[in-house]
Formats: sequence, C-alpha cells, structure tokens
Amino acid sequence: MTNSMNDIRHSKCIFMIGSNAAEAHPVAMQHILYAKEVNGAPLIVVDPRFTKLAAKATEYVRIRPGTDTAFLMGLINYIIQNDWHDKEFIRTRVAGFEEMRKVAAHYTPEVVEDITGVPKEQLARVAKLLATNRPGTVIWCMGITQHHIGSSNTRACCILQLVLGNMGVSGGGTNIFRGHDNVQGATDVCVLSHSLPAYYGLKEGSWKHWCKVWGVDYEWIKSRFHSKEYMHKKGFTLARWYEGVIQEDKITQYTPIRAVVFWGCASNSQSQYHKLKKALDKLDLVVIIDPFPTTTAAMCEKDNVYLLPSTSQYETEGSVTSSSRQAQWRYKVVDPIYEAKTDYEIMYEFVKRFGFADKFYKNIKQIPEDVTREIARGALTIGLCGWLPERIKKHTDNWHTFDIDTLQAKGGPCDGEYYGLPWPCWTETHPGTPILYDISKPVAKGGLPFRARFGTEYTYPDGRKENLLAAPGVANPGSEIKGGYPEFPGWKTDPNVIKEALRRGMAPFGNARARCYCWNFPDPVPIHREPLHSPRADLIKKYPTYPDKPDHYRVYTRFASEQKPELVKEYPLVLITGRMVEHMGGGAETRSNKYLAELAPEMYAEINVKVANDYGLREGDYVWIESPEGGRIKVKVKVTDRVDERTIFLPFHFGGFFMGRSYAANYPEGHQPYALGEPANIVTNYGYDIITQIQATKEGLCRLKKA
Amino acid sequence: MGAKKIFTTPATPAGKPVTLNPKLARRTFLKIATAAAGLGGLAFSGRLVRKAQAKEAKIPYPGSKIVRTICTHCAVGCGVYAEVQNGVWVRQEIAQDHPISRGGHCCKGASAIDMVRSEKRLKYPLKREGGRWKRISWEQALDEVCSKLLEIREKYGPDAVHWNGSAKVSTEMAYLQRKLAAFWGTNNIDHQARI
Repeated sequence: MTNSMNDIRHSKCIFMIGSNAAEAHPVAMQHILYAKEVNGAPLIVVDPRFTKLAAKATEYVRIRPGTDTAFLMGLINYIIQNDWHDKEFIRTRVAGFEEMRKVAAHYTPEVVEDITGVPKEQLARVAKLLATNRPGTVIWCMGITQHHIGSSNTRACCILQLVLGNMGVSGGGTNIFRGHDNVQGATDVCVLSHSLPAYYGLKEGSWKHWCKVWGVDYEWIKSRFHSKEYMHKKGFTLARWYEGVIQEDKITQYTPIRAVVFWGCASNSQSQYHKLKKALDKLDLVVIIDPFPTTTAAMCEKDNVYLLPSTSQYETEGSVTSSSRQAQWRYKVVDPIYEAKTDYEIMYEFVKRFGFADKFYKNIKQIPEDVTREIARGALTIGLCGWLPERIKKHTDNWHTFDIDTLQAKGGPCDGEYYGLPWPCWTETHPGTPILYDISKPVAKGGLPFRARFGTEYTYPDGRKENLLAAPGVANPGSEIKGGYPEFPGWKTDPNVIKEALRRGMAPFGNARARCYCWNFPDPVPIHREPLHSPRADLIKKYPTYPDKPDHYRVYTRFASEQKPELVKEYPLVLITGRMVEHMGGGAETRSNKYLAELAPEMYAEINVKVANDYGLREGDYVWIESPEGGRIKVKVKVTDRVDERTIFLPFHFGGFFMGRSYAANYPEGHQPYALGEPANIVTNYGYDIITQIQATKEGLCRLKKA
Repeated sequence: MGAKKIFTTPATPAGKPVTLNPKLARRTFLKIATAAAGLGGLAFSGRLVRKAQAKEAKIPYPGSKIVRTICTHCAVGCGVYAEVQNGVWVRQEIAQDHPISRGGHCCKGASAIDMVRSEKRLKYPLKREGGRWKRISWEQALDEVCSKLLEIREKYGPDAVHWNGSAKVSTEMAYLQRKLAAFWGTNNIDHQARI
C-alpha cells in the first residue's frame, strides 16, 4: 500500500477492483465506510461477483473475469479523451505518457464493452466519478493479481492513478490489501525464490551485501551451492514447486525435488491440487511444521511424512508488518502449550544439526531482537534501518497515543512519529513514511519523491527521448536540488549515504518520474490478453496470450500452446475463487476453531439461478465440478444471483476431502478439523503470470455434472 | 553459543508455565463466549451458556495481567487485549484504543483465543509408519528429519529440497527462513506472497 487503511478516511472516491474487503479485511471497512458516509465518496466496486463488499457499493460494475486491464485502459482512455487527466502532474512527474496514451486509445467504450461485458454508459459514468471526485483511492487484491496478465493488471491500476494525479497525496494512492497477517513482512524479507531480503535480487553484489551483514565469508556461501549459476538462478515457486517432483512440464534444474518442507504454509492453496497430491505421493520426505496437522498431512498416504508441532504466534513474539507497511510488536500471550516448540527454537535445532549454527547465529544472541537488528542493518533498500526492536515495542506499547486520521502520535513517548514507523523509516530517528511519493513533506519528516531506478534518460522505440528525472521545481521541501536528481551512489549498502542524503533534504534513491511505459516488461504498456482458458473463443485471435516460457522459475510454462479456442465447448462455465470471512487461507487454523467452524462448516459452490435450472439443480444438491486438467470435486450447490449465468464461485479454504472421498481418517486421531470439505484448488486451472508466476485462479473454465 | 543462551525469551506475563486446567478452562470459556457473542455474531447453544452481565465481563480475573498483542489472521493488523491468569489465556477483549482497528474485530479476531485453546492443536511430534501416525520424541523427530535432509542434499544436491516458508510467522522468523535457504545453498524457497 502506498497509503494506509486509516488514510482512506480522506478519500473522495473509492475504487475497488478484485477485492472483497467486507469478508477478507472486515475491520478496514470502517475507514472505507467513513469516507463513503462522511465525505460522500462514491464507492465503486468492480468484480465478477456481487460480493458482500459490492452490497455496500454506490456503483457496482460486473466484469467478465480476466478482463481488468481492458476495463482499466478503457477508463484511462476515456479520461484522456475528455481532457480530465492531471496535465501538470503528468508533465512534471510521469514518464512515457505519450506512448501509453497511444496504446490506451484502442480501448474505446465500445471495444471495452465487447471484451469486459461492462456497458459503455457505465464505463463513462465510472470515469466521470473518478475524474470529478479527487483525490480517490484505488484498492485491489487477488482478483487483480491471480491472472496470467496479473502484473499488467496491477500496472494498469497504477497508471490510472498517475493519469488522475492521485499519487503521493492523502486520500489517494494504490492500496493493495494484503492477505495473511504478516505477508508484507515476509515479502519484505523476501521468503521468495527470486530475491534476497529487502528486494536485493540474486546478483553477485546482492549476495556480497548480505554475506557482509551476516558476517560470513562470501566464498563459503558460494561453496554451499551446486554451482555459482544456481546462486543467481531463480528457484521454484510455491505455485509450481511440485512440477520439480512430477515433471509433467520440463524442469531446468540438475535434479528433481526429493523433499519438501512446509513451514507454516498450506498446500491446498495451490492450484491444480490433484497434481500436487501426486508429488506428495512421490517425494522421499515431507516435513510439516505447524500448530495444526493441516490438509497436507491428511493428503500424505506414504510413510514419508513428519509432523512437527510449532506454537501459535501467541506463544512466541516478534514484529509483524501490516498491509500499511507498519511494524507492530506481537507480544507473547502465554508459554508454548503441550510439547509445541516455537519456530525460532525449531530453526535452531535444524541449523545446529546442519552444522552451521556458529555462522548462522554469529550476530544473534537474543531472539528475536537481535534478528530485528540484523534486518535493520541489511534492509537499506526499503529503509528498515530505523526499525529497531525498542522503537517497534514503544509504538505498540503506546498505540493509544496515535491519531486515527493522521496516524501521528500526539504527544507522549512517540510524539510526531507515525504509527508503526511505516517504511521507509530511514534512520533511528526517522518518523516513518505514512504516504509514499508525497513531495509536500521533507524526506526526513516522512516525504518522498518517485524513485530513480531506471537511469536518467530513455529513448522510446519511435525515437522520442525523455528525461526520466522529475521536472525542475518538483522536489520535497528543503531539498538541495529543486528538481529531479539521480540516486545517491552506494545508498543501498551504506547507511551513511542515506543519512547524508537526508541531511541534504533529499531522498537516497533519487527523484524521478513514474513510468507508464516499462521497457523491461513483456508488455511495456498493459494490454488485454484473453485468459489461457477463455470462454470467448472469438477474441483469442485478436488478444492472444504470450509465447510459451521455457524456463520460468525452473519449469517450462505454457502460454500460447495452452490457449485452445475449442476448450470452451466442453468446459462452458467460468470458474473463480475467493475468501469467506469465517476462514483464512488453507483453513488449517480456522476450521480447527470451534467457533468459526460452527459459523461456516461446509464447502459450497455458488451457481446462478439459470444455471441451476438448466442443470436441474436445487439448493443443497450435490454437483461434480470438473476442470480441463482432470480435477473434480463434489460440492453442495448454493443457488444465487451473486454470480452471473456463466460463472461458478468457490471459496478456497477447505480441505480434508479429495475428489469425492473423505480423508478424515488420514488425520492424526483426534486432530481432524471440525470442518472438512473439497479444496477448490483441485479444479482451478493451469495458468501463471508471465512475470511473477502467480497462479491464474480467477479466470479458469469448468463443467458441471449432477452428482 | 548454545540453545539456552538464544532462547532466553521473557517468561509469560504471569511468569509461570502453562498448565491447562480443564476446570478453569471451562469456566473461562463460558465467560469469553458470552462476552464475545455480541461482537462477532457468534452463535452459541443456549444449553451451554448463561448470559453474562455487563459488569461481570468487566471484572478482572484475580491476579490477571493484560497483554497487548496483534491478531494473527489478515494484514489489517488489529489490536487484541489478552487477559492472562497464572499463565493461562483466560479472556480476550477488543482494543478500543488501537489506531487501526479502533475496537473492531471480525469473527476470526474475536475467536483468536481458540488458536491456543483448540483441542485440535498438535500435541507432540508424529511420523507416519505403516500407514498410521506414531508419536515420537522431539529428539527423534529432529534427528531423523535433519539426517534425511542432509542425506538428500549429499546425494542429489542442495536444490533437491524445496522450502515453503510462511507469511504467518513474525518478520524475524520469516527472515531466518530465507537465511536458512541461503546457508543450505538453494533458492528453492518461497511463501504465500507468490500466490
């Protein structure tokens, strides 16, 4: 999020696309509804399904799954055509506008209506609402990201805000509501196969930086790898690791995967789950570390699995980062129960047995505080330098002293600081950055320009040259240079450079323009591409997907060869998935919670009234849902107009059943969750984003059979 | 440097190890249940509970302490007040003064206490043997798991192991997961943010 949950209170317009915050982030709703009720902000909800959030909307836009970029580019085009774009903002702080405008011109209201199913009058109405109610916020979730063009969808959201001049201001911004409680923190420290902590990537310089922080010899770390090549090669992802075992798509790694460790991670959240199950049956070793047995344990039928009980997060402590980039200290409530061990302790036991405890814990004597300090020493790129354990605890201890509208402490021990020291928090005294890219405040007081990450000048394919730095006159108050400037050399590895930049009133990472044209992406400007499994065979030729990608995180990933126009004849219905308020993720915790399981005990499929009548189904009947990949689940029908006549919706939190069969007896005795059900991901389709490899679970096809 | 040195985490606020006294647990369950019912829309069987009086819900348990903590479900980051007596989490309360949640809770946050109290929690390490789950000691579990991992690393290389880390642990723990993969010698590490 560039802004915060609380900052939405200042919005004049709320545009939510692919988010069902009323169920997924219920407590954020108070800030959204405050803006709606008190500011009179229109609440525009764009979603294929009439969700509980849509029920609160002033304007509900029903969109065909997988066509978000077309709709967003249509809005952008309509805004520009009507001369509603923020010309001064674009002139001074945006790059590649001309190139983007030419691409957007294709998306006329008529074209957009054909692709998305949104009436052209409604597109015009929404564009006008956005233009006449500024600043507005744009909010999205996995409804935007889980597509083969998910990365284009997110960029189209950002471009919309640039065109409206809604960036770097209170009430504006691009605000992605994140799922898990600490998914922001875990992302920031990059539990990711393509980067070292704090987004340093996997280049040699990145490894050297972190080796220095860890206090270990770079050559020793290098010797731990199969070869230097594998040090720099992105690893398998959570979305496709099982291909490393079953190899139905060709892998580009010298060995198949033989063992997997699930450390606080569900397996039923991954698409094509029936293939993942094949991998579980084939592996030499499966290790599950979790407070609950998880669906994974029940799905393992071989003698290859260990269950290690870790504590819940209430029996340990550490910092957690909210969606708004704020750190909070999650204090321990009670000591570990039963024989459960904290994750830290299990980690120590592993590392000790692996024989590198001395090196691993070189700077770490006190857990977790010394780890927080080590992160602060290394994570300069996102400015975690000021996140010291004492400061984070002080904020949590004094949460009552912070103002709900500004998130700034009014007096008290944290006076003037922003709650949770939202990153970048550049130094031990920096107050945090509540709004990214806000040039109205000095950098030392939480202001920031756009980052200069891509050089100072670029020549577009048509020969046009553009200065990528911000225009003269555009800089934070107190900046030594009153205009754009490049990054400070060495700021990513030397905290003194950061301090020097702040002393001069400048941002360590420079002051540049935000790009509408990203030359390093497959589509420099976002364009619509039909889902791999599209219900609109007639549009595939005009808006085809990408060519296949042979080595996409170590596995061949099909795009063009998977896009078959005839598929829809056999699989005529569109499949989407989403959350329920009562459950979380794979549901291991919430389905084992007696209160929540009682509230939402059963898996179901939402099916439109017309579909139900056509198939002869009544509420509560069982139905088989089948995917093109051979996955099938038997679920109860919920007949509703929330979904349209072509779409099926499934909640993704269930597990413990597999293709019609109960696996309850396969859990350790007495540890079966209260609520069991078919995992939706058995029928989610093949398809992955071209850059991130996120699974495309919001745009598949399926068919129904009465059970 | 040994394990003890590293794990000198402070004791629970009550300063005593946890013993889940079933009598106490039952009494407090009823109390929290009635207190939370109005907030989360939780449905309870009338047979089990009696209506708590407002003033009763406000009386602290004798000798109890209040711990500030953060909900473990979504990334909004709601505050939770946990009431702990003799090392047992006896009751939870919304945080009216928390700057983000301002007293708000969804049904998941309102039932946070069951994360610690659920009977479904794993109690000890288990392995599957002859198609059945078998209780084993921590020492055996760790020795077997780690020696098997090392054996696979030796035989096939460090990339033969894939690590799925977590967005449900602290930032410090997540960082250690990433660091572990680096020291193990692989980039085959990922977590829920990917999907």
